[in-house]
Amino acid sequence: MILFEFDHERPNTPDEAVALLTHAGPDARLLAGGTDLIPNMRYRTVTPALLVSLGAIQPEAPREEKDGSLRLDALAKLVTIENSALVRKRAPMLAESAHTVAGNQIRQMGTLGGNLCQDTRCLYFNQQHDFQFVAPCYKRGGDCCYPFPRNDKSTCWSVFMSDIAPALIALKAEIEIQGEQGLRRQPLEALYAGDGLKPHKLGQAELLRAVIVPPASPRQGWGYHKESVRGGLEFGMAILAATVTLAADSKACEGARLALGAVREAPVRLTETEKAMAGQALDAERIAEIAEAASQEVNPLPHHGFTKAHLRDVIRIQMRRLLARAVERAVNPNA
Amino acid sequence: MDQGLNFIGKSFKRKDGPDKVTGRAAYTQDIRLPNMLVGRVLRSPHPHARIVRIDTAKAKALAGVKAVITAADTKGIKHGFVETPRYPADQSVLAQGKVRHVGEAIAAVAAIDEITAQRALEAIEIEYEILPAVFEPEAAMQPGAPEIHPSHPKVAMKENWANIGGKTETGWGDVEKGFAESDYVREDRFDCQLRTHGYLEPHVTLAHWEAEKLNVWTSSMGAFVKRAKLAKTLDLPFAAVRIHKSYVGGTFGGKIDLYPHEYAAARLAMITGRPVKIVITREEIFQAFRHAQPLIIEVKTGVKKDGTILAQEMKVINNSGAYRGSGVVVIFLAWGFTMTAYRIPNLKFQGYSVYTNLTERAPQRGHGNPKVRFAIESQMDMIAEALGLDPIQIRLKNARDAWEQLPNGDNTHQAGLKDCIKIAAERSGLLAKYGQSRKNPPADTIRRGVGIGISSYMGGTLIYPNGSGVIVKMNDDGSATVLTGAIDIGQGSETVIAQIVAEELGIGMEDVRLISSDTDTTPQDIGAWISGMTYVTGNAARVAAGNAREKLLALGADRLGLEVSELGFGNKSVFAKANPDLKITYRELIAASIATKRGDTVIGEGFWRTMRDEPAHPSLATAKGRWTENYAYSAQVAEVEVDLETGKARLVKALTVHDCGFPINPALVKGQVDGQVSMALGHAFMEEILIKDGYVLNPTWLDYRMPTVHELALSEDVDVITEKYQVGKAYRTKEVGEGLVSGILAAIGNAIYDATGVRLHSTPFSADKILAGLRKIERQKRQAAE
Repeated sequence: MILFEFDHERPNTPDEAVALLTHAGPDARLLAGGTDLIPNMRYRTVTPALLVSLGAIQPEAPREEKDGSLRLDALAKLVTIENSALVRKRAPMLAESAHTVAGNQIRQMGTLGGNLCQDTRCLYFNQQHDFQFVAPCYKRGGDCCYPFPRNDKSTCWSVFMSDIAPALIALKAEIEIQGEQGLRRQPLEALYAGDGLKPHKLGQAELLRAVIVPPASPRQGWGYHKESVRGGLEFGMAILAATVTLAADSKACEGARLALGAVREAPVRLTETEKAMAGQALDAERIAEIAEAASQEVNPLPHHGFTKAHLRDVIRIQMRRLLARAVERAVNPNA
Repeated sequence: MDQGLNFIGKSFKRKDGPDKVTGRAAYTQDIRLPNMLVGRVLRSPHPHARIVRIDTAKAKALAGVKAVITAADTKGIKHGFVETPRYPADQSVLAQGKVRHVGEAIAAVAAIDEITAQRALEAIEIEYEILPAVFEPEAAMQPGAPEIHPSHPKVAMKENWANIGGKTETGWGDVEKGFAESDYVREDRFDCQLRTHGYLEPHVTLAHWEAEKLNVWTSSMGAFVKRAKLAKTLDLPFAAVRIHKSYVGGTFGGKIDLYPHEYAAARLAMITGRPVKIVITREEIFQAFRHAQPLIIEVKTGVKKDGTILAQEMKVINNSGAYRGSGVVVIFLAWGFTMTAYRIPNLKFQGYSVYTNLTERAPQRGHGNPKVRFAIESQMDMIAEALGLDPIQIRLKNARDAWEQLPNGDNTHQAGLKDCIKIAAERSGLLAKYGQSRKNPPADTIRRGVGIGISSYMGGTLIYPNGSGVIVKMNDDGSATVLTGAIDIGQGSETVIAQIVAEELGIGMEDVRLISSDTDTTPQDIGAWISGMTYVTGNAARVAAGNAREKLLALGADRLGLEVSELGFGNKSVFAKANPDLKITYRELIAASIATKRGDTVIGEGFWRTMRDEPAHPSLATAKGRWTENYAYSAQVAEVEVDLETGKARLVKALTVHDCGFPINPALVKGQVDGQVSMALGHAFMEEILIKDGYVLNPTWLDYRMPTVHELALSEDVDVITEKYQVGKAYRTKEVGEGLVSGILAAIGNAIYDATGVRLHSTPFSADKILAGLRKIERQKRQAAE
């Protein structure tokens, strides 16, 4: 039950949506699948005066662009991403990451853009505040931090838990944003502010329109892992995604992109580890060293009852496993 | 099983099944009455505080608000899960003067819609004086800890502990002598996480006051308990309170006793004269409602070289939350679960129920047994290993036999425990697998392990009014309408009762319909808790149907000119045994009865209670007094897989070998087995309510992890049949609905040890604990090498 009143608009085009947002000011919110926003409205952690529903706008089907890149409508449902033959062929890691989100019912509702624009999460934040944690924390506009009482920096150490963003970052995806000035294109990574208070850099009247995944290089392999206690129906303890491109000899690493989710306020690129991988022959021993370095490069926020030390263990072990898998796939794309 | 049975022992589909799977079933939330108001409850934001002032004027003045109540609007009558001279009622329906846990109900409102009700809650002004709070039982026991309630006077006379709600102290023999004579003695400490029940249907109550009568629909496990407590706290005669039946979407122990919202809906309905419905949110359930009982268990056991137990000393500390609740019951039960499975010549048992500033507790399926068996069975394996015995040997050495007299005067009757252990060992190949992972570790990082745990559970126990009455009304066409107070919470009681009535009357399943769980129209029944409905209500149904059958046979003898002993019955007819063609239908007999006996239709009545001449219940303080004559026994084997690198463990396969007497409906028994294995799996690996300073951190299905279909393990089972059903004779079925969450939990812990060498003393068996254990082993190996 949403226990406050709000207005609701259902524009027919993205332009109309942007116009509504511009007109309404900061109290307006976009509603796509609603799987993130509606629970937050139930908890009254978000209390928009106006919801601009995107439900009347039909998403385009995933398609291949002239340059071989994959173009995905931000309003595409997660089930579309997960089940599209084109996505599974051209960006199987993306399909796999979409498949790990929640359960089927949520994927039937949730959209790609909504997943990438979801709010950060914290046990103290994502719940009803009728009688628990009543005084607002920094993120709710107050002046305390329940999980980190010594955090006096008016910041928020909540974690960004999209399962898909790390995969897309490892795939070097770009996004298209529509605003009053028209369309602009930027790397997905640039969307994230790294600030738990305001995790995204989207303008108030901006709308994520599309995600573009560039074509894979030859001899590129991938590995993806979502660590969780149960198989499904939960957010990740840690999310790991990697692409590895091998040199023509299929041995040395020509390039790699490693991204983590659910460990900080934004997806984390492991650029130092990536650099260290360049030119290395990725045998089992070297991969183990890289995985160790990866687990040290990030400073995971303890979250949802998991300690920093355990998160580091998870990153180290799973990074090693998925890099081995990525190399296997790079050598043999049919693996 | 007796030959010639047509209904008993057969897997009839559940009578409630089609309604539930098609969505036709009406749960309390689906019931709407005209002019219904929405009720909501105001809850404490503090774990411990004095209420200095409450001002409801602003809330009452809001348009659309029809009533606001606080403790001042109640009669101040207290209630409790236990209400005995030693443990009198201790809970107010709305907080009086003090709040003792976050979420404690303080006030309630009735309004025209949800948003208005919410605004009313926000308009209630309360001034608190914050008091120091304590959440861990061992801290709360310390003299000088914040006082939640004074320690129980009987305990305080002898011991200087604070916040003791109650104590169970019992034993026999001489434990010191037993330990002195032992070849091997060890002491271990075990504890566990806080878990909740996980019923999918939330608490919902609809109340309506009409013609001087309170009508209530509420999601519960026993209508008569609800009536008794509502009538008491509202100061109404029982006859003025009617609890209606509605479908129930799961309880697992969490819907017994009275909850403040039930009182509030009733009181608000009485004040406004309009129906009031209160639907509790899932977050409220996690944050403010009763959960299970986390126990700390210290166990010291002394054995001979051959594994024979000589002495055992148990200390159990229960974190009982802010009120007595079922906290003083679980410490008594912990003794029961200790003494029934193994022979313990010398025992010293002490159980403390300790108040803390958390929500009071409810029973949860197994009511302490999983924690007790986890402790005892883990230690059994440790002892066996130290003595060079295998896990089966040591268990067979100590397991209770059939016809053993228990220290409380009960008898094990046809206990099949030893058969359960033997069959479990044989079926699982446990001895061939046990220790293999540690002796011959495979090259990869995946280790398999196997472990066993046994348990015992009582059913049909003596607790007022664990008796049941059933009425069987024969209809003119020979079909039967059964009136029973029993409530079907998903366990299938209505189906089982129908099978018994069909068998005893010789009519079809389709000829039997039930009116159940309605306090105005059905006889008294304890409800679906404390185990034993199939035994208690089932026998009452058997007697009632038998009573109707005897009347039909007498009528038949009269009409056919034969003796009753010469008659048989079946297919809705009475016939001559010597000449089955000589018969008369029930329809004809009932018509004849009405015609010739001044309208006398055929109605059978039956009543049942365990050990009818025993007092109402044993002492919770001393455990003296008989308890039951129905002890179920089981042995369960778990096979697990552990990834040594990640520390993640999972249950691969569970085997349950159990003595439930005999199954009246094997498919329902199998359902109970599988349900308990999956529930234990949640206990073992994932479920945990996280609490900080008295506040719940994960009050949602998202962050409180119940097993999903992905985690379920293969579950096999074997019934060890020790009793039988004969038409017209009393039968003894044993408990099957909650005891089996226990042995399997212990078995999983033992299997993880078998796979990895890591002995876990606390649940859940999470990856970080297993990794920490593995690292400790590595460190010890390195130190030993240096």
